[in-house]
Amino acid sequence: MSATSATLPARRMAGWAMTALPWILLAILAILPLLVPSPNFTRLLFMTFLWTTTSIAWNLLGGFAGQVSFGFAVFYGAGAYTTALLMNAGVNPLFAFLAAGLTAALVSLIVGLPAFRLRGPYFAIATIGISEAVRVVMTNLSFTGGASGYRILEHRPFRQLEHYYTALLLAAIAFAISWKIAHSKFGLGLKAIRQDEDAAADLGVNPYTYKLAAHALAAALTGMAGGVFARYAAFIHPGGVFGFHTSVHILLMPVIGGIGTVWGPVLGGFVFGIVEEEIVASFPEIHLLLYGLLLIVIILFEPGGILGGLRKLVRRFRDHR
Amino acid sequence: MTTAKIPILEVQKLTKYFGGLAAVKDVSFEVRAGQIFGFIGPNGAGKTTLFSMIAGAVRPSAGKIRSRGVEITGVSPFRLVKAGIARTHQIVRPFREMTVLENVQVAAHFGRKPVRSPSAAKERAMQVLVSVGLDALADNPASILSVGNQKRLEIARALATTPDLLLCDEICGGLTHSETAAMLQLLRRIRDGGMTVMYVEHDVKAITAVCDRILVLNYGRKLAEGTPDHIQNDPAVIEAYLGTKAAGRS
Ligand SMILES: Nc1ncnc2c1ncn2[C@@H]1O[C@H](COP(=O)(O)OP(=O)(O)O)[C@@H](O)[C@H]1O
Ligand SMILES: [Mg+2]
Repeated sequence: MSATSATLPARRMAGWAMTALPWILLAILAILPLLVPSPNFTRLLFMTFLWTTTSIAWNLLGGFAGQVSFGFAVFYGAGAYTTALLMNAGVNPLFAFLAAGLTAALVSLIVGLPAFRLRGPYFAIATIGISEAVRVVMTNLSFTGGASGYRILEHRPFRQLEHYYTALLLAAIAFAISWKIAHSKFGLGLKAIRQDEDAAADLGVNPYTYKLAAHALAAALTGMAGGVFARYAAFIHPGGVFGFHTSVHILLMPVIGGIGTVWGPVLGGFVFGIVEEEIVASFPEIHLLLYGLLLIVIILFEPGGILGGLRKLVRRFRDHR
Repeated sequence: MTTAKIPILEVQKLTKYFGGLAAVKDVSFEVRAGQIFGFIGPNGAGKTTLFSMIAGAVRPSAGKIRSRGVEITGVSPFRLVKAGIARTHQIVRPFREMTVLENVQVAAHFGRKPVRSPSAAKERAMQVLVSVGLDALADNPASILSVGNQKRLEIARALATTPDLLLCDEICGGLTHSETAAMLQLLRRIRDGGMTVMYVEHDVKAITAVCDRILVLNYGRKLAEGTPDHIQNDPAVIEAYLGTKAAGRS
């Protein structure tokens, strides 16, 4: 359990490496589209950054605080539509993205105030119900085009790299927030809630407001990702951004990568972002079913996800020497 | 009335029904600051339910609870912690995925005198761990602690919220003789440090050894209240709880 003095320098090195890693990764991703000037590759990474942002966001609530939500499409869609409506009204994209985050955070309160009266599986089920209700309303809302969707008319030339760097910046912000929370009082309070909500309350943690806060922060990041996506796609529809599959994708990534950790959702986001289009193209009918099976397999055999599996391997390797 | 005379806790006709069963019925008492106030009674007498109502985890069916003259009936647990009331759990509830230190750090962060910075919270948590004798295990996962040490961790967490009223529910259950003696010594030290302690225990010897005043519960009702001497000689208590052994001696 305890570190011997011999392993201490090695540990400190590992610590530095972990601090440097995000910056190295950021630098590589910043120059990558310049080295590999392929629009397809750039688009793939762009989408990966957005997925990773939502993955990190979901983990704040689902991983750190242990509140499993199947309703993050509500925030992704709210952000997408907010951005679309504002940009068509002539608002600068940057402000439209911020407004998307704010709207999603407000929506998260409307969802969370009643839903967090419920616990565990009941909360999860409530989020499914709310999410489907929102999708149905948006499908029938005429001023946003209903089911046939909504188009964004941007009177500026399309520059893919601008979108790319916006998404990269958003993912970097999400990561920084997640990292900061993991090492803060707020994060420890969330972890206490995940493990035993009542015991946490007996030590002074207010579970209700803490869950609402984590939910709002997660929703804001997810909403901004939805906004950045809407601007890029220039066309959105309820069946897409508000679709149940969007909620499933957002939940799947942190579970794949390693729930409740800082790096797991990033890992899951990258893996999912890179293979997602391929899977949807290869199995258009049954890809949701495949995701469901994958979820069950992970939960049964490696609840720690890829990161949890890797850690076990490293430990085994160390013990065998 | 001067403030010194106002009881730190005043309970009036407190009642809790679970379905048709009265787990606690019309219980009234006052606790003065600086005491160790004990509760005894057979299993199912309503001791834990009484504590849970005072700590805000269970809403009373009827009755009132006041702390220093302020009504606190039905106030949430986390608010009561901020008001200086903390409890331990008879069935221990450590955060199993955290280390021993992190468990106590939560309490330091969110207690009555909340600490913001993690390093300051860790520091305070470590001081508390030293005071209950758990410092050597600080970096271990809470899940590997022995029963006795899990009980100590419960106390450490409650203490780290810096309460002035500490509710301890059967902290000696499952402990050896020497561990029990050490635990009682810890309670005395806590009281001598100026805290008020309310202490539930199954074991009559432990309670009479350490308490300044004792209340006896039986089937949810108050059977008797007084000093340990008074309680041990009360005929109703002897008959109902201390049993034939004590009765035979008198
Ligand atoms: N949450 C609950 N729901 C239903 N009955 C309960 C609950 N908690 C306690 N009881 C019942 O209330 C009575 C008092 O229990 P408790 O307060 O735990 O007693 P003690 O701590 O003195 O052993 C028991 O009969 C117990 O079965
Ligand atoms: Mg009990």
